[in-house]
Amino acid sequence: MALCDDLLDDARHLAQRGSSENRPSCKRRAISTAYYAVFHMIVDDFVEHWPFPDQRARLGRMFTHQKMRDTRVKFGHPHKPTTVEIALKEIVSALGQLQKDRHRADYDAGWQVVDTDVAQAITSAADIFSRWRAIRNEEAVRNHLLSMFGAKTED
Amino acid sequence: MYLPSAVTKQQEIDAAISQVVAELSPDVIRIRYDIGEDWSGQWAIFFRVVLSDDSARRRLRDVITNVVGALADRLDFPGMGVFPYHNFRSVSEQAALQEEAWA
Repeated sequence: MALCDDLLDDARHLAQRGSSENRPSCKRRAISTAYYAVFHMIVDDFVEHWPFPDQRARLGRMFTHQKMRDTRVKFGHPHKPTTVEIALKEIVSALGQLQKDRHRADYDAGWQVVDTDVAQAITSAADIFSRWRAIRNEEAVRNHLLSMFGAKTED
Repeated sequence: MYLPSAVTKQQEIDAAISQVVAELSPDVIRIRYDIGEDWSGQWAIFFRVVLSDDSARRRLRDVITNVVGALADRLDFPGMGVFPYHNFRSVSEQAALQEEAWA
């Protein structure tokens, strides 16, 4: 199983423990782990095509969280996005939400995390997994992934 | 200092929220929000959505999709210069925490 899938499983286990033991640290780790599952899925999807396996980890470290969130989804036709482009836009929005929640989970000690916060993160991560994997080979997605990495768009 | 146009459109935002709550009742009990900067310094609108216990427990995925979609249909977030964030909690969770920002 890939690292990203293991992380999503870990997030579920942490969520379960957090809820059954009412343990805030596990709830926070569940949210953070759900985000990193998505992060690694997307990064791995990019670097797996690099032909030199020993360089893939270094390549993956060039991705930045902010760039991944802020890269605008480009529509081929501004007023008539395709279903793939709409799905991609929704994935990027969900990624932004997860990223924000992960930041709070890791750094905002005042945040009173509830089970619904955790369930939202896990649900969102699982949805991103399935939706991304359904469209990952589409040209719009490959181009967006390249833009997330930092490549300039062709305007 | 730069302020996003969302700051001046609070009536529009309030009206949209009222419509969404009415449309998605009884799953959605109320929606509160703030406008501010997020962890990266980007302007954002932070929605806090209180859900019925039943919808939070049994239909969270669908309710989240409905709330996020209904707000996006009515409010042009990019045009307002903000990124939308949505957080949810159940009536019971809010009753236990008693956080004013969610009341």
